[in-house]
Formats: sequence, structure tokens, C-alpha cells
Amino acid sequence: MNLRAKAEEFLDTASRSRLMVWACVLGLIGLALMSWSLFDQGWIPVMMAMSVGQGIGTLSFALFLVIVLIDLRKAEFRPSIPPREQPMKPTKPMKPLKSKDD
Amino acid sequence: MHVSPLSWIALTCAVVAAVIMLYYLIKRPPLDAAGKSVMMLGVGVLPIMVAMIGNVEGLRATEHQAFCGSCHTMDMHIADANDPESLSLAAIHSRTIKFGDKSCYVCHKDYGMFGYAMTKLGGMGHVYMFLSEYAWYDMEEALPKIHIARPFKNNNCMQCHSTTGKIWNGVADHNGLLEDLRTGATSCASAGCHGYAHPFSKPDEETPSDAEVHSALQHPTPEGT
Repeated sequence: MNLRAKAEEFLDTASRSRLMVWACVLGLIGLALMSWSLFDQGWIPVMMAMSVGQGIGTLSFALFLVIVLIDLRKAEFRPSIPPREQPMKPTKPMKPLKSKDD
Repeated sequence: MHVSPLSWIALTCAVVAAVIMLYYLIKRPPLDAAGKSVMMLGVGVLPIMVAMIGNVEGLRATEHQAFCGSCHTMDMHIADANDPESLSLAAIHSRTIKFGDKSCYVCHKDYGMFGYAMTKLGGMGHVYMFLSEYAWYDMEEALPKIHIARPFKNNNCMQCHSTTGKIWNGVADHNGLLEDLRTGATSCASAGCHGYAHPFSKPDEETPSDAEVHSALQHPTPEGT
């Protein structure tokens, strides 16, 4: 099974609510690390916020985007207003061509 | 501890985002269009704002003495720079408004076109060296081993001391060494001139000038000579 098939299988079978739970947990950890650097501006908090904190936060947002992608794959796209059927215009009868013999 | 207004905005965003995420974890509302819109705010928009403000505040923090001094190996450097009785170059400069509590950054930053980025890259090198070696030394062990990564450039001094002023040129040594000082052949912060910026750290050591190091790299001395 190639990578694309694996990804499609994951998108078809993954639980949205479980992904959202992971997104929230990771988001909270990322936020905690990023907020820590706002109070304590030593090298450890600042480095942690700008590397690990933002990395975890990005992963959290990526999981949310996966949920959106799952929804988009399952959505049925229908135009909200059905197209109107165009009435057929009556055609004028064509005049017969005059021949040179007339 | 000073928290800037921008940091308060970031903290507010962080609290709101955390409340949204905790609400989801506890109540598990359905992920319909409205639910996803709220979660987009909680997981996406607000944390991105926190990250952006965190970057601004974090980079600003790296310019302060408190950041440099947060590594224990810099304790004596910071203490000397803030000592009102000290006559070291670092202390004299730290007492002026332009340097103040940013004296480490103002003196050691790269003033080139990409100076800010290069300074930050250099700082990452310091972090690597600290984590890989100096973090495990106490101050007495570390002090003789700490060296500036590259010779201190006279160009950094010349950001303020332009070498063109009447009073400055009135000093005989300045006048005689003008070209050497401008090219970096003689270091302003050498023992024969203004002394080392942090004299307690290398009292018996001669600091080579920028030009001397370049010359040594271009014409290496054969071993045993």
C-alpha cells in the first residue's frame, strides 16, 4: 500500500472527535510553553517557546486542519439553487430558397 | 518582572484559547459548522496570535542583560557590568543610557546588513556551546575556558566613536594609530589601549586583534617554530 492510499484510508477511518481531543491537548501544552516565556525571559523559556512550544502548537493546528479535510471529503457538494431549465424557443419555419429557374 | 502591554494581549488570547479547548475536552460539543468555527478560533487564530507576539517579545528579550545573564557562566560578566565602582569598559558603557541593560547586545551585536539575523545565529552557537560543555562547569572552571568566538571588532566601537571627532583625534595615540584602528589591525579593547572589556576574565592573557587572527589564518605558522 503506497503512502497516498494509507493517507486516504486514515482520512476515511479516523475519528474526528479523537483528533480534536489530541489537538486540544497539544494546543494546551503549546500555549503553556509559549505563555511561560512572556513571564520569564531567561534563555530556557524563550528558546522553549520559540521552538518546542510553537512546534507543538503547529501540530495541534495541523490536526484541526485534518478534521476539516475529513469533513470536506465526506461533504456532498450540491448547488443551493438548482439551475433553471431554459424554455425552448419556437423556431421560425425557413423560407424555401428560390431557384434560378423561377 | 515586567510584563509589557503586548504580552498582556498575548496572555488574554492564550487564556481565551485555553478556555475554548478545555470546554471541548470537558463537554465534547458536536463538531458541526458552529463548533468548528469556535475551535478554529481556539486551536488556530488565538494560538497563532500568541506565537506571533511571543516571537516579538522573545526576540526583544534576547537583547537584555537578563537574558544573557540567565546562563550561570555569565554571572561575573553581568555583575561587573552593573558594578558602579568598576572601571572596566563593560561597566563604563553599561552606565550610559544608550547601553543600559542592553549593554551586552549593543556591544556584541553584528552591525552588518543582516546583522540581526547573524547575531541571532551566533547566539544559537552560544546555546549549543553552553548545552554541550559549559552548562556542566561551575564558574571557577568555566571562567578560564570562556573565550569570545571571534575577536571583538573595532567597527562595533566605531558605531559611536566615529574616529573623526576633534577631541578623539586630539589624543596622540589615536592619531598615530588611526589607520590601524579603522582597519582593525590594533584592537581598541587590548591591554595596551583601553584594556579588556571584561578584565577579570582574562587578566594575564593577550587578546589578538581582528587583523592578527586573519593574518594567522592566511599564513599559518609551521608547527615547532
